[in-house]
Amino acid sequence: MALALVGLSYRTAPVEVRERLAFPGEEAQQALDALRKAGIEEAVILATCNRTEFYLNLDSDAALDQVEVVLAESAGPLPRPLQRYLYRCTGDEVASHLFRVAAGLDSMVLGEAEVQGQVRAAYQRSAETEPTMTDAVLNRLFQTALSVGGRVRSETSLGEGTVSVASVAVELARKIFGDMDGRQILVLGAGDTSERVVAALGREGVEGVIVASRTYDRALDLAGRLSGRAVRWEEVTTALAECDIVLTSTSAPHPLITRGTIAEAYPGGLSRALLMVDIAIPRDVEPEVGALPNVFLYNVDDLQKMLDETLDRRRTAAVPAEALVLGEAQAFANWQRSLAVVPAIRRMRERGERVRAREVERLLQRLPHLEAADHAALEAFSRRLLNQFLHEPTAQLREAAEEGRIEEMVDTVRFLSGPDSR
Amino acid sequence: MTHFLALVLYLAAFLLWFSALLAGGRSRQSLPAWTAAVGVAVHVAALARFTITYGELPLVGLGPSLSMLALLTGIGLAAALALREGGRVGIVLLPLAFTLQATALLAGIRPSGVAPDFRGGWFILHAGLGLAGIVGVSLAGAAGWLYLVQFRELKEKRMGRLFHFLPPLATVDRLGYAGSRMGFVLLTLSLALGWVWTVRFRGTFGQDTAQMWWGLFSWLVMLSAIVARGLGGGSAERRSAVANSLAFLLIAAGYVLLRLSARPGAGFL
Repeated sequence: MALALVGLSYRTAPVEVRERLAFPGEEAQQALDALRKAGIEEAVILATCNRTEFYLNLDSDAALDQVEVVLAESAGPLPRPLQRYLYRCTGDEVASHLFRVAAGLDSMVLGEAEVQGQVRAAYQRSAETEPTMTDAVLNRLFQTALSVGGRVRSETSLGEGTVSVASVAVELARKIFGDMDGRQILVLGAGDTSERVVAALGREGVEGVIVASRTYDRALDLAGRLSGRAVRWEEVTTALAECDIVLTSTSAPHPLITRGTIAEAYPGGLSRALLMVDIAIPRDVEPEVGALPNVFLYNVDDLQKMLDETLDRRRTAAVPAEALVLGEAQAFANWQRSLAVVPAIRRMRERGERVRAREVERLLQRLPHLEAADHAALEAFSRRLLNQFLHEPTAQLREAAEEGRIEEMVDTVRFLSGPDSR
Repeated sequence: MTHFLALVLYLAAFLLWFSALLAGGRSRQSLPAWTAAVGVAVHVAALARFTITYGELPLVGLGPSLSMLALLTGIGLAAALALREGGRVGIVLLPLAFTLQATALLAGIRPSGVAPDFRGGWFILHAGLGLAGIVGVSLAGAAGWLYLVQFRELKEKRMGRLFHFLPPLATVDRLGYAGSRMGFVLLTLSLALGWVWTVRFRGTFGQDTAQMWWGLFSWLVMLSAIVARGLGGGSAERRSAVANSLAFLLIAAGYVLLRLSARPGAGFL
């Protein structure tokens, strides 16, 4: 049996191909069923928006072709042959790859934490399938991967900082307002990023969403999607006075919010903090607004700079994280190698057990006066003695196997044990 | 020994918080908080022992009163811990508590031998309220500094270690607001008690003593800090943070100056 991996990721396949092999919802389970029908009994399918990977414990490399058949059937016609997008690896490389994936080292956004949960979910799906599709090796592989992911996040700063515009906006709002309950946000203009920012702030407790757009119908539409309230463009100044956070992303060719707008919205002066996130190009908020005492204004470049700083810190942290992964992958490889001596150890112990049982039986025949309690004590004593004798050779065998001296050791055991006779 | 142990625990808690700062506020925050809390508990035991041994509260003499002030600073920090991230004000308060306790140990935490005529329940209330008021001032000052640093980080658009470690502006503002009000009210009560005692037992409306002038000066500074927040226009929170930070510095500087200029054995705090 050998570990194998076949898959594709954002590094090898464009999104049009990845989305064909994303295995959403029940499709992952169906793919596992298809693998079982193809004779593959141990498999875990990790499918995220950035990767689809099949982790397998196979009897032969030929079974990998079966996996490709399952993938090809699922993908349907592709712009290029499926093999052009796939990568394969076997043996020790599989563990180090999965450990890097779980740690976020192979993610599109370096150090992202979501993948850890995705690895856990993928493993649980296979482990909980009836009958289970994970054996001792895959169990150990995935449990170690999850442990490595946890260690990388707790022992290095790889997962620190925020790496999306939405998360930066949330972090800024949290550092200004602390508790976000009851805060209000004014959204000017629509867009995916705006919606993500509003959703992220909503999760933090921001309650009131006011939406304004040049076209009232579009404002109504967006307000409906964001569970907010639409206002007409002429009412923006009034809405501004009610808000703690302003998010702008219109396509207006000139600034919509100027110092004059703020002065109009706050005739007595702005006496509380106002966070303004301007993700529009050209900018919707005049830069001079940021100089006002209580205004915290961030444009796209500011947000990008913050994201870059985080990514720089993560790149630095990736060095110790890679070292940690390497160490764990080596330990896993050693453990796998140690499995190779299990049959030899089993044979040695079986032979010892046969000798022990035979000798105890002989002794008991020569000592017929012994009571049942004496029999039990003699049995226990002989087992303890056997275990004591075999403990050191067993440990030495495992150690030798981890060091790569398997065949030499197995031969030695055979030689010392004599012919395998009963 | 227990006094020294409290000192070590304050230092350890500070170092743990400092390492949290270097880690960008991502490391566990409970360890420094618990270390500080144990430091406060040990300090309470140390001063309780002083009270039992000498039959007086540690309110008279440089060593005992500074140690009491250090303890109250620690208690102020413990109160700030209730505001979750507000506990990070310990990064300022713990060095302060450490300095006060170290100075107290150097001066000797033992009875001064001075038997002031202002004693008994009047004095205990007056001194206790005064020291607690100073803790309010320290809390407000520390919160003010943190506010100003976080404000600068936000305005300069940096998301570095300080940004991540420091509490939200709203949290430190709340802490500063509570500290300055508490400081002002307690100082007012302390001064009022001292003044009533003077009128009643000395038959005069005022005394020309260093501590009285320092007390009055501190009260006026705190009053100014509170008034500064209420002034219209601009950012009241930022103005309050500046005022609280300055108030703490002025009150501390005033104490040091008066202490240096006081006559030996004058019994000044």
